[in-house]
Amino acid sequence: MPATEVNTMHDLLPKPEVEKLRAKAAEIDHPHEMIVDVLRAIQDHHGWVPDEGVQLTAAILGVTPVEVDELATFYDKIYRRPVGRKVIHVCDSVCCWATGTDKIVEHLRQQLGIDPGQTSADGMFTLLPTCCLGVCGDAPAMMIGLTTYGPLTVEDIDRILEQERRGATAAEKIDS
Amino acid sequence: MPKLTIDNREVTVPEETNVLEAARDLGIVIPHFCYHEALGAVGACRLCAMTFLEGPVEGVQMACMVKAEDGMVVSTLDEKAAELRRHVIEWSMMHHPHDCPVCDEGGECQLQDMTVAGGHGMRRYRGRKRTFRNQDLGPFVFQEMNRCITCYRCVRTYREYCGGTDFGVFGSRGRVFFGRLADGRLESPFSGNIIDVCPTGVFTDKVFRYTSRYWDLQEAPSICPHCSLGCATIPSARYRELQRVRSGINRETNGFFICDRGRFGFDYTNHAERPRQPRVDGQGTSMTQAVTAAERRIRETAERHGADSIIFLGSARASLEANALLARWAERFGCRQLSFEAHAERDRTARLVAARLGDRACSLADVRRSDLLVVIGADLLAEGPMAAVAVRQAARSGARVVVIDPRPIDLPCRFEHLAAEPARLAAILRGLASGQTKNLLERERPLVQPLLAAIRVAEAPVLLGGGDLLGHEGMGLLLDAAQALSPAERPVKLMAMLGGPNSYGGALLATAARDFDALLDQVREGSVKALVCLETDPFRDVCDPPRTQTALGHLDLLVVLDSVPGLAVQRADILLPTRAIAETDGCFVNNEGRLQAFRQVFDPGLPIRETGGGDHPPREFRTDTPGAAPEAAWRILARILGRKDHLPTIRQQLAAEDPRFRDLVFAEPGSKGSRLTAEASLPAKARVSLAEPAPGADTLPVLPVRTFAGADRLSHLSAPLQALASGPAVFLKPDLAERLGLTEGDGARLTTAEGHCRVVVHLDARMADNLILVPHLWDSALEGMVPGGRRIDGRLEKEEGS
Amino acid sequence: MSDYPQVLFKNRIPGQTVFLKGYEKTGGYEGLRIALRDTPQEVTEHVKNSGLRGRGGAGFPTGVKWSFFPVDEKGEKYLVCNGDEMEPGTYKDRLLILADPHQLVEGMIIAAYALQAPVGYIFLRYAYEDCSRVVAKAIAEAEAAGYLGRDILGSGFSFELHLHRSAGRYILGEETALLTGLEGRRPYPRAKPPFPAQSGLFGRPTNVNNVETFANVPHILRNGNAWYQELSGPENSPGTKLFGLSGHFKRTRCFELPLGITLREVVKEYGGGIRGGKRFKACLPGGASTPYLTADHLDVAMDFDPLEKVESRLGTAGVTAFDEDTCMLAVSCNVNRFFVRESCGWCTPCREGLQMVSWLLEKIEAGRGTEDDLTMLHDQYRNISGRSFCALAEGAMAPLGALLRLFEEELRDHIRQGSCPFV
Repeated sequence: MPATEVNTMHDLLPKPEVEKLRAKAAEIDHPHEMIVDVLRAIQDHHGWVPDEGVQLTAAILGVTPVEVDELATFYDKIYRRPVGRKVIHVCDSVCCWATGTDKIVEHLRQQLGIDPGQTSADGMFTLLPTCCLGVCGDAPAMMIGLTTYGPLTVEDIDRILEQERRGATAAEKIDS
Repeated sequence: MPKLTIDNREVTVPEETNVLEAARDLGIVIPHFCYHEALGAVGACRLCAMTFLEGPVEGVQMACMVKAEDGMVVSTLDEKAAELRRHVIEWSMMHHPHDCPVCDEGGECQLQDMTVAGGHGMRRYRGRKRTFRNQDLGPFVFQEMNRCITCYRCVRTYREYCGGTDFGVFGSRGRVFFGRLADGRLESPFSGNIIDVCPTGVFTDKVFRYTSRYWDLQEAPSICPHCSLGCATIPSARYRELQRVRSGINRETNGFFICDRGRFGFDYTNHAERPRQPRVDGQGTSMTQAVTAAERRIRETAERHGADSIIFLGSARASLEANALLARWAERFGCRQLSFEAHAERDRTARLVAARLGDRACSLADVRRSDLLVVIGADLLAEGPMAAVAVRQAARSGARVVVIDPRPIDLPCRFEHLAAEPARLAAILRGLASGQTKNLLERERPLVQPLLAAIRVAEAPVLLGGGDLLGHEGMGLLLDAAQALSPAERPVKLMAMLGGPNSYGGALLATAARDFDALLDQVREGSVKALVCLETDPFRDVCDPPRTQTALGHLDLLVVLDSVPGLAVQRADILLPTRAIAETDGCFVNNEGRLQAFRQVFDPGLPIRETGGGDHPPREFRTDTPGAAPEAAWRILARILGRKDHLPTIRQQLAAEDPRFRDLVFAEPGSKGSRLTAEASLPAKARVSLAEPAPGADTLPVLPVRTFAGADRLSHLSAPLQALASGPAVFLKPDLAERLGLTEGDGARLTTAEGHCRVVVHLDARMADNLILVPHLWDSALEGMVPGGRRIDGRLEKEEGS
Repeated sequence: MSDYPQVLFKNRIPGQTVFLKGYEKTGGYEGLRIALRDTPQEVTEHVKNSGLRGRGGAGFPTGVKWSFFPVDEKGEKYLVCNGDEMEPGTYKDRLLILADPHQLVEGMIIAAYALQAPVGYIFLRYAYEDCSRVVAKAIAEAEAAGYLGRDILGSGFSFELHLHRSAGRYILGEETALLTGLEGRRPYPRAKPPFPAQSGLFGRPTNVNNVETFANVPHILRNGNAWYQELSGPENSPGTKLFGLSGHFKRTRCFELPLGITLREVVKEYGGGIRGGKRFKACLPGGASTPYLTADHLDVAMDFDPLEKVESRLGTAGVTAFDEDTCMLAVSCNVNRFFVRESCGWCTPCREGLQMVSWLLEKIEAGRGTEDDLTMLHDQYRNISGRSFCALAEGAMAPLGALLRLFEEELRDHIRQGSCPFV
């Protein structure tokens, strides 16, 4: 992709960030090793990775878009479809399952009015199941964004959702 | 060489052979999906299970992942291995749709065969099946992802082997998708190979789709006629129609794959305007009468005006047998006016190669094994596409690839490119041949100087040259360079991209000093009265079509034998329609001197689709086959010569008459062929020189070049390949464009001595400076600018109002 | 806190991280200084003699693995830390990093010196954002202090250490898939041979160890082999081990305990028994890819070899307990679903075979199973075990095999009853 097109992608990744990644890629022998890094950077900024994000990653690293999407579609935590402002990953692996994931999911469904895989009407939360989060001692657990919560009770969830909602709004205010 | 025992039978195999291959050598075929000889073993499908009873590994193993070793005792029949194979088949079939009745792969589906072989007859899984949304992959390949068994063969072929970049593996776990980022034509010129390698009906031939069942097809081993490499193919026909071509297997040449031109270029055979009716003086007649008329009128011309009043013109797309018989016809009168290539420069180049190649001859297998490849004046993707894939295989094993060419060359691998102007090629070649770089430019020397040393120390260096750009003179210099750089113990090999599938064969037959351009002078002078054309169109297939066309107007008699429509066919006084390649037997000699036979696939006739007007069965009932008049050129010529029209006999006669062709007797379709080590006579001195004079102040050199889709007339006449066609265009370097006030996409006027035409401007920074590149385009105002032909200068101006 | 000697957790205060200052105060980086006085071969020999076994799950002797490494080969060589801790029931590496991250960094520097590998990577899973911040800080501190980078402590040895944050897939825990993933290609496992020591990251010699394995190394160097071997009972499994408890235990915490401790002691003394006063029915002894143990196994020593004797594995020593009211078929449904979802999609037995297993398990769990389904389940187990490309499907077969072996009657009850007896 020509550099001019890449420059119009500020909403995916700010220009200084693009330049920083581009410079780092130029330094290393195997730019492919940065594909996941760039995808994560785009996702941090844009929330998810649209097709243009795949193209941008390829352009920054000088690899083909196919090579980028081959990874983007492999990894669970790279979102190739729009998600809400925050993604709730509810662990459904064995420790959490044994200690009550089902109840947690059921409560989240009711509170958010969505099924797993969907985004709440206000665009705030996307509910996704996830495999083990590595907090098995604190089961049942979930992860919102990159923050893990557990052990969860139904009561905790309402409080956490409210807190995350406020956090998102606060962050929004700082942004603007 | 390890010796092992498989099913109680001993076999000795070369080192590095895997046990699946060792079993195959014994004729034991164990089901497998992901293993493929060209792609190697990856152990993904887990189908080729065998039980290892004794030796370094034990138990059930994937045979493809185990290298054969001394003392191994292996059983393919052991129940544990058989049970696993049954399970792998069952797992593969879990999500596979039961759409075999409407699946194009039906009957030639490896999955179907393996399912039966694996003993899986009952579906036990009743869970949900995965489904995918298919992509539109363009005109050649149809995708039906629901059938996929995830063997990864397609991506390994498309990307790893052929170097395509727009196809990949997406998703994961039980949902793996093989395709593109989005809908769109597969960009690789080798895309069709995924049709061949897919073990089931995920990727099928879109052109062939819903046309025939495999078991209804007539098939035979053949040779691709669309360039000089001679790739093995298997054309398939039904209802008097050539319906598809797939890759044959020849480990010395193409290996297992072919290019899309070879796969989808076949349709000239079915061309609606194809000559099918013999004709004498504008009147349709029988073949017998036309043959009689041709023989009589040529004889009369010879009697009246002398033997040299006739020109016999063979071609690079006519078989060796037909060309040889044409020569016999000329000899009958003592006529010396004989050429096997209308394009005089290609003729000279091919003859030079045939005369001097010797033990430098290089197969595609040699290219694949090379560690240093220098490509000079050759756009492999256009002139010999599978050579580009062969170069890629060498590069994958670590070979260095250097390209010296004025064009913005693409290759499916990493390479270094020196965009030397055409006029500089001779100097560079002289530098390589002499080892002296003092005459090179500042920007040439840093590449060429170390290259000299690199070629000397490389283990298996190969020089590849393009006949069109290098011409006779440049090819001579390339041969000189190969010779100069060869130490005694190993020759530097050389592969030349020649004009057509039998250029080399024609070059071996050629003896006359004069080329077709020289012969045309005699037509103009009036001493030549008649021209016999064998499967060539001298109105187009020449260096200088406008000049040739004027000259040909002076002829009294034009006899044309051909299988495709053209100007010569239109203007022939006597037309003898011939069979297309798939309709007859014959031999070609490829660009390395390899004699290869092709076998008749079907008999000619108007395709039933045409006679029935879409209706079936045809409503017109008759006892003969409509459109069946075309005869094999060799047969027509044999009759004219009064020889027995029996090909084996003719081959025996030709072999006896000229010992250089003794291998004709053993020519076997589907084999690897045999390299002729024959001597050829040198051509006449070239009239054009590589070191072109600088063009006038307001003109620039114009370089017509071949393109992938229309490199040869035959593929141009193939409807499926029209999908790749583009309009008249020129390419130039951005700074030149800037000087001319042109930008990308501009409409421009290209003016040459013959007139002018409208072209679209494309910029490419990778090409040489001061050069206008014109992709050759048949049936357009650019048609007269023939690659490898005469020197052209031109002017390029922005078109007003664009 | 356990009653046994604490090594890896000696600085641990839940909720806090000990960084460089605190680490140095308790002997941190002394092991490195000692190592740098020896030759690389001597360091490897020392680790070999210590008897340290890999803590990632396989229990392969670490020093032996290092001794296969082509130390003298010229050109790039890599050292990689596998911190893709995604095995359900396993969270020890996370706690280790969060408690005292310099153990990992120091261990890697010592290993890099022993193997003469100038470049290292710490590969962390996506969800461990907290760990990645901690590790990044520890690396920066070590660099600033001269423990990392050029000419470490004047030894002439240089080592650069990078942090790679993944994007979430269990298969990355398989060491060859991890390397392919690090390279930025689809993280499919690779065929062995060649082993990573011959051809690993970017085709170069590479050594991969688990977080906990590396963390043991500085202590071994500093305190010596005799000390290390006295930390635990079994002769061929020295040292302590982090046991992460989860599931129906009363206390679901991570304890540092000597290898060879009995399951009973783990359950009773550390797990505090089962919640709600229920009885212990079974456990996954070392993550979801280890065969179940039952109350019959309570006296088995939690160590590599003794567990193999009872057809199970120590794995990661993440012990997930199940109470008497748990349907083990339902547990297996869950565990197998995990493997189905985490299959990379490369080989047929894993990609498709595990789906077949899930279909059968769920059918029986739902009360729609037949004796034929049970037979078929046995067939699947027999034909997936040892037949897949990498260890992932093998891991899935471990609990399935134990289910068929230990709980066949429970399965039959589902079939006979036409429903799950535990619902």
